[in-house]
Amino acid sequence: MSKWFEWVGLALICVAGSGWAMDRYPGVGRAATVAEVRAWDIDVRADFRGLPEGEGSVVRGRELYGAQCAACHGSAGESDAFFTPLVGGTSAHDIRSGHARALAGSAAAQRTTFMRLATLSTLFDYIQRAMPWETPKSLAPNDVYALTAYLLHLAGIVPEAFTLSHSNMANVQSRLPNRHGMTTDHGLWPVGEAGDGDMGNGGIPDIQAERCMNECRAVHGH
Amino acid sequence: MGDLTRRLGRLRPAAENFLSKADLTAAREGRRRFLRTSLLAAGAMTGAPLRSQAGEADPAIVNLPPWTTSPGRPVAARPYGSPSEHRSALQRRGPRGLSPLGANSASFCPLQGLFGIITPSGLHYERHHHGWHDIDPRRHRLMINAAHSGLIAESRIYTVDDLMRLPPVSRIHFIECSGNTGTERIRATAPTVQYTHGLLSCSEFTGVPLRLLLEECGVDFRRARFVLAEGADGASLTRTIPMALIESGEVLVAYGQNGEALRPENGFPLRLVVPGVQGVSWVKWLRRIEVGDAPYATREESLHYIDLMPDGQHRQYTSVQECKSVITTPSGGQTLLSQGFHNITGLAWSGRGRVGGVDVSVDGGRNWRSARLEAPVLAKALTRFNFDWVWNGQAAVLQSRAIDETGYVQPAHAELRAARGTGSIYHNHAIQSWRVAPNGEVVNVQVV
Repeated sequence: MSKWFEWVGLALICVAGSGWAMDRYPGVGRAATVAEVRAWDIDVRADFRGLPEGEGSVVRGRELYGAQCAACHGSAGESDAFFTPLVGGTSAHDIRSGHARALAGSAAAQRTTFMRLATLSTLFDYIQRAMPWETPKSLAPNDVYALTAYLLHLAGIVPEAFTLSHSNMANVQSRLPNRHGMTTDHGLWPVGEAGDGDMGNGGIPDIQAERCMNECRAVHGH
Repeated sequence: MGDLTRRLGRLRPAAENFLSKADLTAAREGRRRFLRTSLLAAGAMTGAPLRSQAGEADPAIVNLPPWTTSPGRPVAARPYGSPSEHRSALQRRGPRGLSPLGANSASFCPLQGLFGIITPSGLHYERHHHGWHDIDPRRHRLMINAAHSGLIAESRIYTVDDLMRLPPVSRIHFIECSGNTGTERIRATAPTVQYTHGLLSCSEFTGVPLRLLLEECGVDFRRARFVLAEGADGASLTRTIPMALIESGEVLVAYGQNGEALRPENGFPLRLVVPGVQGVSWVKWLRRIEVGDAPYATREESLHYIDLMPDGQHRQYTSVQECKSVITTPSGGQTLLSQGFHNITGLAWSGRGRVGGVDVSVDGGRNWRSARLEAPVLAKALTRFNFDWVWNGQAAVLQSRAIDETGYVQPAHAELRAARGTGSIYHNHAIQSWRVAPNGEVVNVQVV
């Protein structure tokens, strides 16, 4: 897409909104420019809205990782010196099922990033906005693709001869070991007065404790 | 050491080992000696009026101290005042042991030494995901944009000065990290209430309702059901915020805290205030609000701050901090130095509204009586409770249990585990227990 075309497109977005800006407080604040929004609007959503164009190979990612990531995360993403390990605890079976099997019933087990990761966008978005630790936001989109590709390779999700790009992210998403591992069926998402629970179960608590006052229950001290 | 008894009163007041064992022994002996003297004196005076009695005179009374016999320091000697040096043991404290990365860590609020419901800003707990900066407010901006067309009419930019020109509101709310009490999920672990419950604070926040700003941008509330809040820190931390809460007017873009500007550690110059919701959603150093029509699955709601259930599924977007309470005095690491009257005090709160009541047990949960709630009792704010107790010198297990205005009852550990297992460190709001030993020492115990 040419620069000119992009500008026109974004300008149309600015005027095509369904509501009207209210301007009850004249002189306070101003319209954002396209360049300003582009500079800060870096988030990538689970449906990959916001994903920049680009690509990066596992091989290129290995180089970048060795230079910029391994000191904290270990040579193969295994280190827990500073953060929880990136890689480990998933299997080929998990890639087929979409559930990291090691999570069930394992209260104390170390949970790696790939055991938890359900949305590939999350990994890309976080590397792009916050890594590497000492120089966040220093990576170009192709670097982020390459690093993501290398981590996916370390986790056994893509082969060594693989190049990740904006056009195959969705395919890789369908191989994440814990892609079906999240639920929003709970009462801890706040809902409005109208009860418009756009996620969750509408705010219904999962515990109904008893308010006993006298001669209640046996006491077990630890 | 002779004046320790009087300085300490009837309770060893803080819990960070700022008294040595020797000091503590001296305090106890001093207390016993003082009691023995008083009893003997009272015996000798039997039948006489007890308005005054013979015996030792308190040197703190008969020997006039320097502050009574000399001029003090001038006004504005400390232009931005600081606490008494006699309170220097009361500090927020980082994790016990070495933290591998202090910029990705938390410090705990010393609840055991606070009064009322407001947390002094300098003692507010901290949780940073990429360290804190003291941001130049003249170079800070708040941007409001949208994920795509049709959600707002106009993307807008506000300076901090712009926001301060808009009609402000001030509200008192608690903020609690969802990892608060996370160490206590399986067994009693942390020694003091500072470490078991200190990822908790309460302040008066001043700012502009986010609803007002979104209306200025021409938001379509029917389609825009979520927003992304983003910080200006290195991590540019992001969280999905429910539009329903924003529409209610509760969510603020805040610049004030307890009458002053936000402290840098708490988000200066701007932070989001999301009452009732876990602290990570109160995005600090707020730089951008993106209006959207779907949740964002950011790192802090996909890899962290997710609650592992026994079946291996994670609950995602868990946000509400449910009804909870804790006794802050007497609490772990403190020591009762004498029998007799002790005020049991603590804090209660609920992310769903006002606290409706607090019950206290001194026998490990067998029998309960209602505590007094002290005004003000505000929605989604800390509420102070007090409870009269005469300690007879026998072992006791102290507990508090809060009930909120929705009727929700704070659960016991067994009830929490039955619903959620023990796999998650997040959202532990179970009843806390403190055991008072016959020697007066108070320790953290778990009653299931």
